[in-house]
Amino acid sequence: MTVDPNAVTQDFPSPPPGHRRPHPARYLVPALVACAVAVALGAYGKVHDPSGTAFNLAGFSSTGAVKSWLATAAIFFALVQLVSAFMLYGKLPGPAWSSALHRWSGRAAFLVSVPVAVHCLYAMGYQTYETRVFWHSLLGCFFFGAFSAKMLLLRSERLPGWLLPIVGGLVLTALTIIWLTSALWFFRTFGVTT
Amino acid sequence: MKRPGPLLTLLAGLLVGVFMLSLNATTGTKNTSSSSADTTKESPAVTASPTPTGTTPSSSPSPTTAPAPVPDARYAGRTDDDSSAVALTLRDGRAIAYFCDGRAKESWLRGDVNDDGTMRLTGKDGSVLNGTLEDGKQIRGTVDIDGGHHAFTAARTKKPSGLYRATSTVRGAEVDGGWIVLPDGRQVGVLTRDGKPSPAPRLDPRTGAVTVDGQRLTAGPAAP
Repeated sequence: MTVDPNAVTQDFPSPPPGHRRPHPARYLVPALVACAVAVALGAYGKVHDPSGTAFNLAGFSSTGAVKSWLATAAIFFALVQLVSAFMLYGKLPGPAWSSALHRWSGRAAFLVSVPVAVHCLYAMGYQTYETRVFWHSLLGCFFFGAFSAKMLLLRSERLPGWLLPIVGGLVLTALTIIWLTSALWFFRTFGVTT
Repeated sequence: MKRPGPLLTLLAGLLVGVFMLSLNATTGTKNTSSSSADTTKESPAVTASPTPTGTTPSSSPSPTTAPAPVPDARYAGRTDDDSSAVALTLRDGRAIAYFCDGRAKESWLRGDVNDDGTMRLTGKDGSVLNGTLEDGKQIRGTVDIDGGHHAFTAARTKKPSGLYRATSTVRGAEVDGGWIVLPDGRQVGVLTRDGKPSPAPRLDPRTGAVTVDGQRLTAGPAAP
């Protein structure tokens, strides 16, 4: 599939940088929103008194299992994201619907991660008592900030070509570490249970 | 031309988040689940459910109206000043409680639970716990220990959260360890070797396995 870089309806990629300097608000607004989201989540997690529990889904033995499987689903979609992004940029051969695949797998990954994050923040809060927990808390907040920035950046047409891959890569990296420090830890500690 | 797609995605995520949060807050009975093994005849509707959910507030026992004795259950929580943890196990109208700051201060307390949910537990060191079971969901009260006065709230919880104890002899030293596993999995524990308290090593709450000075011990759930 070939991509016309100047096509207005195309999500990726952006035109080459420099031929018209974008207004700084294009970067500032997403960056500020990202900071606001991350700090707000962290502050809520820190201030809110963790309830210890929240509701569970039927068919699962514990909220930990539910969250681990939802997070694993998110990681799966995130890998689809990585592959479909390579397709969009022409680094991999891809079908014509790879942009739709990228959009919808991203939405799916984001939407399944939301209940997990709600449970984390509501029941456990922002914690720092262990290295694993600290990085998980920090990156959990960072992830939603970075994701917000990525979504807002998509709405701008004239961006440096490297910007979206960098932000997208940050989002993916954050999600991966979040998964490693939670779901993988859960499966290794408690076994691969439902 | 601005694309609405990404914004809609964010909005959908926000809506899902707010929806789940409000669901949590409204069904927010902290611990109606009671599927731990050492419960109970008192809450059949809850124990019958294999999933420990918080979504069944209607089926929680209501000892305020029922004259029946208080249900067997585990409770764990922290002091209001956040300095220490308190856990209680109730069984057959009796209670054992453990107060622990995770470093040096600890006390085991025992006593009877009255039918109205109040209890006064005492420890060998002279510490006293006064508590009240509120709606079968949590125990609020105070602990007086070493001249200190600590208010606490312990929410009803289930395995592996709860109260654990291990006593043994390791290399000639009498070892007595107590652990409180909080509902979020955090642990607070003190290990006393020949009367000298120190922070306890981490316990595997599922198996009770803990390694003390190179020797593997098994801690069991503490019961009155």
